[in-house]
Amino acid sequence: MLVTAVLSGLVLGGTYALLAMGLTLQYGIARIMNLAYGELIIVAAFLSYALFTYAGISPVWALLIALPGGFVLGYAIYGLLMAPLVRRARNAASLEIDSILTTFGLLFVIQGLLLVTFGANFTSYSYLNDAVQIFGTRLAANRLLALVLAVVLGAAIYLVLTRTLWGTALRAVAVAPGSAPLVGIDVERAARMAFALGGALAAAGGVVISMYQTFTATSGVVFTMKALIIVIMGGVGNILGALSAGLLLGLAETMVATYVDPGLTLATTYGLFLAVLLWRPTGLFGRAVR
Amino acid sequence: MLEVKGLSLHYGRHVALDKVSLKVGKAETVVILGANGAGKSSLLKSIAGLVHGDPGARISFNGVPIQTASPHHVLETGIALVPEGRGIFGDLTVAENLALGAYARRARDQREAGFELVFSLFPRLAERRRQFVNTMSGGEQQMVAIGRALMSRPELLMLDEPSLGLAPVVVGELFRSLDRIRQTGLSLLIVEQNVGMSLAIADRGYLAEAGRITGEGPAPELLNDPAVKRAFLGATA
Repeated sequence: MLVTAVLSGLVLGGTYALLAMGLTLQYGIARIMNLAYGELIIVAAFLSYALFTYAGISPVWALLIALPGGFVLGYAIYGLLMAPLVRRARNAASLEIDSILTTFGLLFVIQGLLLVTFGANFTSYSYLNDAVQIFGTRLAANRLLALVLAVVLGAAIYLVLTRTLWGTALRAVAVAPGSAPLVGIDVERAARMAFALGGALAAAGGVVISMYQTFTATSGVVFTMKALIIVIMGGVGNILGALSAGLLLGLAETMVATYVDPGLTLATTYGLFLAVLLWRPTGLFGRAVR
Repeated sequence: MLEVKGLSLHYGRHVALDKVSLKVGKAETVVILGANGAGKSSLLKSIAGLVHGDPGARISFNGVPIQTASPHHVLETGIALVPEGRGIFGDLTVAENLALGAYARRARDQREAGFELVFSLFPRLAERRRQFVNTMSGGEQQMVAIGRALMSRPELLMLDEPSLGLAPVVVGELFRSLDRIRQTGLSLLIVEQNVGMSLAIADRGYLAEAGRITGEGPAPELLNDPAVKRAFLGATA
């Protein structure tokens, strides 16, 4: 039972980590608190569902559409809605308020469109739903694939951010936006790229989630909240922090659901969050980079 | 090389710079002396494109007008700024800070040569390339800041109060490094409160007061000028 719980926890945690990495890019580098983040996840989940159910296209292919699709959508949202706010913002606080209000509105626009198109029902599809034998226990193949995809994507984005000059420049903007122009980094361009990259990760996360979870047109906000909690636990803008905190939360939720009571998962999430805020208010992994 | 003509700058109703003009020649080291609030930092920031002065000013570098250019454009023309407080990326490593110094297009394919130059000037940075910058001493952080600026392959290096907050021993070391950088043929424009040390390595100096340039002259003359001695050296020497 322990092995099963750990594996399920890693699947959930890997997905959370993927989602949180996207949000930490948007919040930490582009400095946009995107409340519509979860809606992008759900759009991708429905895309994956529709492609599989109506066209028989595998979610792995859906991922290849969702990644660039999420990037373009993120790029467009930043360029059309966020850039004007950034330009007129007098300081970081006023940008935060403006972006929260704007993305709060965007949340309902996207949610409304989803409700009109797909209805309010619980949605899921059955892809690779056979159990496979692993470490002496049985795990649905779709969950295993979800874990593999989360690990591959997470590792890829981590390597891009830490091993390339472009990624280092993005992190530099997260660390000290005021100093970035001194080395010739165009901060607005970096913000747009980070926001778009966050959109790509949200969409990828949505496809991965849809492979093993039920979702509705209105469940985006739950994912936004969880991703936000993980981002704050890991330290805003901290990629490795988002990764570790995401895995930790997934494991904790699954352990509590398995050994205590499934009804306590949300309580666990917020309990852990409170503990981190009280014990290390800037996140588990050093300073919150803001 | 660098020419500033009639540069004025307002922050709201506060006048930071009032029709400032100055020149820096090729391979020349120029120091701007003045008390706090004399507008020296604003001047360097305007040249770097971080703030833009009132219309009507002219700033040109090697004949290229840059008074309305963005910071990354100014950097591409060959001007690098080490700001007051250093402006380094504290949560990144020494190597990452230096690599970002070569982010400018003019320097990207000369990154390895840049590393060699910086490590020969500051051997200590080579030993600590994997260290996070915010765990280093003030003097070492200043080396990172100067090294990062040099990585962009500038023709003109501007430094805003580089000795601020450093121990006297470290300040001596810093000015010896700046003297070595000067000898590589770079132009330097330094804003300093440490009058003695900066005039010792400078060719020329300007005196700044309340946003205006009130005097200029060759460095040795300024060093012996009774007015300069009264205004600055009395407090620091």
